[in-house]
Amino acid sequence: MQFILVLLFSLLVSGGAFAQDAGSTSGALQSSNLLNPNISAIGWLQVEAGRRHPGPAEAGESGNAIQMREVELSLQAVVDTLARADLFVAIDEDDVELEEGYLTWFRLPWNLALKAGKFKANFGRFNRIHTPETPFADRPLVQQNYFGSEGLEGPGASVSWQAPIPWFFMNLDLETLQAPEAAENPSFDRPKSKNLLGVGRLNAYQDLTEAWNLTLGGSAAFGPSSQEFDAVTGSSHTHHSQLYGADLTLRWKNPRRAVYRSFLWSTEALWSNRDEPGGMTTDSHGLFSYIDYQFARRWHTGFRYDYTQFPADGSTHEEGHLAYVTFTPSEFSLVSLQGRHVKRPDGTDEHLGFLKVTFNIGPHGAHPF
Amino acid sequence: MKTIRLTVSLMCLISSLAFAKLKIVTTTQDMAALAREVGGDRIDILPITKGYQDPHFVDAKPSYLLKLRSADLLIVVGRELEVGWLPPLLTNARNSRILPGGPGFLDASEGCDVLQKPAGQIDRSMGDIHPFGNPHYWLDPENGRIIARNIARKLSEIDPDPQKTYEENLRRFESALDEKETQWKALAAPLRGMAAITYHNSLPNFAKAFGIRIVNHVEPKPGVPPSPVHMQELITQIRKEKIPVLLIEPYFDDRLPMKIAHQTGAKMLVFPPSVGGVEGVNTYFELFDYDLKLLKSALGEKP
Repeated sequence: MQFILVLLFSLLVSGGAFAQDAGSTSGALQSSNLLNPNISAIGWLQVEAGRRHPGPAEAGESGNAIQMREVELSLQAVVDTLARADLFVAIDEDDVELEEGYLTWFRLPWNLALKAGKFKANFGRFNRIHTPETPFADRPLVQQNYFGSEGLEGPGASVSWQAPIPWFFMNLDLETLQAPEAAENPSFDRPKSKNLLGVGRLNAYQDLTEAWNLTLGGSAAFGPSSQEFDAVTGSSHTHHSQLYGADLTLRWKNPRRAVYRSFLWSTEALWSNRDEPGGMTTDSHGLFSYIDYQFARRWHTGFRYDYTQFPADGSTHEEGHLAYVTFTPSEFSLVSLQGRHVKRPDGTDEHLGFLKVTFNIGPHGAHPF
Repeated sequence: MKTIRLTVSLMCLISSLAFAKLKIVTTTQDMAALAREVGGDRIDILPITKGYQDPHFVDAKPSYLLKLRSADLLIVVGRELEVGWLPPLLTNARNSRILPGGPGFLDASEGCDVLQKPAGQIDRSMGDIHPFGNPHYWLDPENGRIIARNIARKLSEIDPDPQKTYEENLRRFESALDEKETQWKALAAPLRGMAAITYHNSLPNFAKAFGIRIVNHVEPKPGVPPSPVHMQELITQIRKEKIPVLLIEPYFDDRLPMKIAHQTGAKMLVFPPSVGGVEGVNTYFELFDYDLKLLKSALGEKP
């Protein structure tokens, strides 16, 4: 952790030094400044009202009335003639964590790209979006229950291939990641440090009209979930979890009035099959679906529905609703008032209100479409 | 027999490759219109955005990747006009030819007269300011000439043509432009010194080229919607200075400008800053023809 802080500090200091020198000294320093990475930060402040009855995934959250949830620092640059690098560091009140840090080789033949580092897995569409940049004050319940608070992520490598079809966009991603521990991710657990997780996603995109478009995706993940010891033989057996996902996103935006009106409907469903000791399996599933409607240049409103079981328990479920109104003074900040109701598995009702405030400084790049 | 068939097939393949058109992708229809003047029938052109779209706010749709993936040349307006959407497309296009610095990448603004380059410290309190100058530079016909020369040079580099088609097309375009500039100068003579208010700060080059004075904008700062206070200031200014026209780009909501026009007697004109901005404006020449005639008609003069 200290290493990350020292590295960030050094980069910021060197960036600042170049920036100061650029105006007054030689051209050599000016060109060095031009080669510095883009440095951006996103701040996320959250106000919360109501009494929490947290489910298992949110049990560790403080639920403080006012919380600086996170500052996400990003450094992005082209590394050399073949690759670019993207680093995202999440800083909260207690911790500094490398959220993502990866190198992408994007000048490869045969429509290929390779990625290596720590990154969010390409499982579904939502998993890759950092929480401050989602429309919500939380992550959908199914995401929390199956992937934890940070989503499915880890160090690994990925290969991405675009089908060479000139009139239709289709992309296949195959990834292998270090399998997460159960404390990070409820769906998986690595009994051995060498255990890996495999993730694949096939997605297709089509413009339906000039204003409407549709994205469809199918995902799968396979990895270890537990280990069973045989006391008689002294051997061990690793159990696995298999996750399957389907996602659909329908968008509308009239290009003649793109800054004023837009509509998005996105749904993701997930099915889990988990081996249990004694030859048993647990089947469970969950989904979330939301709409976001931009009704004026600076205003959005939206609604999300959640239904989710649990990776280790397919017999109970929780259900939730979230509604919001968001004001965006510019592309670089927003204030969002949100209300959430969750019916927990034990029948208790949780009602929470949130005020989410985010701001973005620096040239943080666009996120995946 | 087999050998003859093989030879014929091979010759067909070679000839189709020899006459295969270059695939040019442009970020806007303005760049496409100029590329068409220079490239003629040796190129196929695919613009990403339409002239009736705000080129600052474009979704990086995967369908654009299909255009970029097989492009031989990408022509961008540059000056960070496309900064909000082009970089992720280029990273995902899987086409190293068209990456910045590659043989198939052209920033059309090279050598153009780009106005309003900010001096000193800038920040976002100034709105969506462009640090490398106002990117709507194609609205000066002399910049159109420079863009066409840039395109001709780049096309000759990536597609050496013994017939010198690009040079010939450029010569023909420049000669037509000379003629048009004389006509436009005459057309714009009564407009010289005319004051106008635009919605966005997209016409400084046009104003400089034709002697029009842009005295304010409906947006108080670039990209910032008007507040009631700013609206009132505009109404006061229009009445006091007797400003005759409000020029609104086709992609902006015209309700507020209409209200201002109604209260002040100024004329509100939907003024396309780009080829394809309104129906019937399909070439670079037609853009200036349309805009200048529109302004003249607003002054009550016969175009």
